[in-house]
Amino acid sequence: MTILVCDKVEKDYTLDSRRIRVLGTVDLVVAKGEFVVIAGSSGSGKTTLLSILSGLDRPSSGRVVIAGKDITDLSEDQLAPLRNTLTGFVFQGFHLIPSLNALENIMFPAELNHDPAARSKALDLLEQVGLAHRQTSFPEQLSGGEQQRVAICRALINDPAIVFADEPTGNLDSENSRVIVDLLLSLHRQRRMTLVMATHSRSLAGRADRIIRIHDGQIVGEERPGA
Amino acid sequence: MKWRLIFRDIVHSRSQATVFVLCVALSLVCIVAINSFRNDVRQAIIGDARALHGGDILVHSHYPDSPGLAGALEEILTDEGVDGLRTWEFYSVVRRADGKESLLAGIKAVEAGYPLYGQVELLSGGSLATVLKPGQVVVAAAVLERLGLEQGDQLLLGQSSFTIADVISRESLRPVDFFNFGPRILLSADDLPGTELVQGSSRVHYQTLLRLDDAQRIDELAALLQARAIPGQERVSTYATAGSNIKRFFDNLFFFLSLVAVFTMLLAGIGMQSSLAALLRGKERSMAIFRALGATSAFLLRHYLLLVLFLATAGAVIGIGGGLLLERLFLNLFATLLPDNVVVGASLADILEGLGLGLAVVAFFTLLPLSSIREVKPTAVFNKSVVRRRNSRERMVLLACGTFLLGGLVIRQLADLQVGLSLMGGILVLVVSIALLTSLLLSLLARLPEPPLALRQAVRSLLRPGNATRSIVATLASAFSVLLAIYLLQDNLQRNYIQAYPPDAPNLFCLDIQKDQRQGFLQLVGEDVELFPVIRARLTAINDRKIDPQVRPERRGDSLTREFNLSYRDDLQGDEEVIAGGTLYQPGRPDPQAQVSVLDYVAKLGKIEVGDRLSFNIQGVPLTAEVSSIRSRTRSMLYPFFYFLFPEQFLQAAPQTFFAALAVEPGAVSALENRIVNAFPNISTINVSETAAELGEMVNRLAVIVAFLASFAILAGALILVSSVLATRLERIREVVHYKVLGAGSGFVIRVFFFENLLLALFSAGSAVLAGQAAAWGLCHFLLEVPYPPEPVATFGFALAMVGMVVALGLLSSLGIIRRRPALYLREL
Repeated sequence: MTILVCDKVEKDYTLDSRRIRVLGTVDLVVAKGEFVVIAGSSGSGKTTLLSILSGLDRPSSGRVVIAGKDITDLSEDQLAPLRNTLTGFVFQGFHLIPSLNALENIMFPAELNHDPAARSKALDLLEQVGLAHRQTSFPEQLSGGEQQRVAICRALINDPAIVFADEPTGNLDSENSRVIVDLLLSLHRQRRMTLVMATHSRSLAGRADRIIRIHDGQIVGEERPGA
Repeated sequence: MKWRLIFRDIVHSRSQATVFVLCVALSLVCIVAINSFRNDVRQAIIGDARALHGGDILVHSHYPDSPGLAGALEEILTDEGVDGLRTWEFYSVVRRADGKESLLAGIKAVEAGYPLYGQVELLSGGSLATVLKPGQVVVAAAVLERLGLEQGDQLLLGQSSFTIADVISRESLRPVDFFNFGPRILLSADDLPGTELVQGSSRVHYQTLLRLDDAQRIDELAALLQARAIPGQERVSTYATAGSNIKRFFDNLFFFLSLVAVFTMLLAGIGMQSSLAALLRGKERSMAIFRALGATSAFLLRHYLLLVLFLATAGAVIGIGGGLLLERLFLNLFATLLPDNVVVGASLADILEGLGLGLAVVAFFTLLPLSSIREVKPTAVFNKSVVRRRNSRERMVLLACGTFLLGGLVIRQLADLQVGLSLMGGILVLVVSIALLTSLLLSLLARLPEPPLALRQAVRSLLRPGNATRSIVATLASAFSVLLAIYLLQDNLQRNYIQAYPPDAPNLFCLDIQKDQRQGFLQLVGEDVELFPVIRARLTAINDRKIDPQVRPERRGDSLTREFNLSYRDDLQGDEEVIAGGTLYQPGRPDPQAQVSVLDYVAKLGKIEVGDRLSFNIQGVPLTAEVSSIRSRTRSMLYPFFYFLFPEQFLQAAPQTFFAALAVEPGAVSALENRIVNAFPNISTINVSETAAELGEMVNRLAVIVAFLASFAILAGALILVSSVLATRLERIREVVHYKVLGAGSGFVIRVFFFENLLLALFSAGSAVLAGQAAAWGLCHFLLEVPYPPEPVATFGFALAMVGMVVALGLLSSLGIIRRRPALYLREL
């Protein structure tokens, strides 16, 4: 069953009246429960593609459909509930809200969704990632690995159908990277969620169901490591 | 390269740079305008002290010269190189020849040669000496307007009729009219006796003016005359030592306006600091890269110092230009308070003074943000954390130096050490108190159990690092509290003195009724009218301790050394009560022992108690009396009262006039005035309700001027609000991006910003109301000694307007951030 469709998506920027193409014509289909890695070198367009797929950015042309809903022309306010419940996002830079502690950061999307069980869900997630003892710590008091675990919990609290992760281990040491990848994959399996991850890590890409290789904004190849 | 880099930095941070420039400009606008305007007014009105006072030596008295003084004057006037003349000045009612209209006028009879200094400019262009012939008068234009007369018509002064020969367009001895009850009329001294306006006990200001060829002799001759004068009754002064109501008024007014301008300057200074801090925060990454590439902190300091100097100069130019434009606007604001000859314009000194002032203010307020540049480390390239400012000893030293510099600046502007220090201390206490109150409220809010999500985020936002919450609240609250206090004070004065004119209060005062006119006067106005005897006298000693004219214990500008009106009666007036001594007079005292009842106001002024002995000089005749009681009054000042009240027997024979206070239907006042003056030309009538209305207009005008200047302080507060939004722009963008990425709609983001600004506004308005009410209450209670109604409706309206402004401004300046799409910023954050 298809969860994500990317149909002839292109992205241009205008700089000093020059048009710069950062993403060529991209076609992509992701099945529900699939773990897809978008791999490519730095500057290849991975993050741009991920931003467009997740609805954080708008393509210059083409269409993006998530869970049967065309999000291409939705306004920011129309996108908001989709971002809240349908998708989750894990960033390389964690992007926790500095004024909220770990528990509050995780609860935040659920509270936006008026979920009365926000606190208990957040506590469960913290327990799962081994950070229950850090629930009152603020982001600046957490290590990089801990911050990323909190960010993963936050992405999962509304039980999204699809989680996008942009270089989730890019700011972490090898030990923390291993922990985060294991965590993401175990959650992916447990929850049967779709995971679309941008990375240039070969070892991480090797654990995906499918790898989409991207270069200079174009998909240049696709492989299935397990096949 | 250096300048190109500076230019790029400015363009890149144009919002912060614009706010900084505006703050510098704002800090200067009011100060430059007031300083320049003050110089121009002084130049036009009070700059030439000889022209203002009319002589080198001035001899004042309310009585004809005593023999000793008259002899000394005669001797001096025989000297070569000494000119002199006398003037008689008093208020009296003048009439049209047909008796249909009358007007209280300030009459001045002058001897030939008047004025010795300065000028009386006439509309015809002629000289006073040629126009002011016997039988002729020159009058202010208002006399013609209000009596419906024209040049050449006849005017009745007392028992004489005069031809209006010309109109006074300017008189250097009386540059403004608002201190006087009535418009000016000048007549020749030779005509004065014929008017019969100056009679025994009439209230006349006698003055002899001397002009000396040799200025070196002024002090010597003044001292000689003073030695021959009766102390307390006759006053000798020189043009340099004489007081001037006009000078005092303008000095006080400009002093007060300077206070407001300094206040605005300080607030704008906070805005400067805040916007520069915002600009530098935006440059921290660039600075770290510079450092990583080998630039020294001195290089960075020089670079940003040049940038600040460039912006400060731009701001100073705008501020000085704006100040000079504002000065022209002052001409309209001050209309009716100033004569036509005030010409505004910028002198080089004004401009240089403004520039120096501006740079000094900039130096103080940019010292701390610039010093933080040295704390930027190259490692900031690797982590995106905000550079933490530490409270080093160096920063404390810088702060102390800056405060010293700023204090000096404020004291110099106000030209008063005590007031300058009090102002600085007062503002510091106000700002620190409000900041502490804000911190307390914020911590209480943060502890609220589970507030709605948007409100919780708003509270967290107010506590975000780098947020100038306390500065914004303190600044806005200070500015608004000043405006509120001014409004409350003005409103209260209006209510107490002008609007609340009691319906039964007398509205027509009649002065200088002579003893032999009592019967006729009562027949004219009604037998039930009470006539109050008035005996002019000076208090010379309390318990044989002489009242030294040099030592002036003052209360509300009043002093025991002035002349008092004594009266006599055997019972209390309806609005009086005895508060010490039991009864008005002590019964059973032997007749030779005079008694006097003292009003509480003057008892406080002189620390007088029951049983004290007071010595008076009643027009040369000494009288000592024991204080029998202290009285207090229960009604407003509009009802007649006397500070010193005697039993009739002790003052019956003293030279006296009578005073009557009549309550007349407002529409009938004019007609009655005409009848009184036609029958008794020497009696002066004062339409009190009209005078109160004129006073009200003046109070309103002054309030408009002060409020206009204080509104610049509001502008400073608004700029600080905007600069704070700019200073926390990155944090706000980060928050908005996080909210949006996590699924919040723009409605939620707007609600968070709305609550944030609402809390800011409520804190500011609450603090402003507290501080403004406290200030207005203090001024009314301690200084003006009038009742203080807190005006809750007006105060609420004021607070509501303030909340509306702050919320609107805060939301508007955040709109750009709300609209952003998250993907554009995710990489940068």
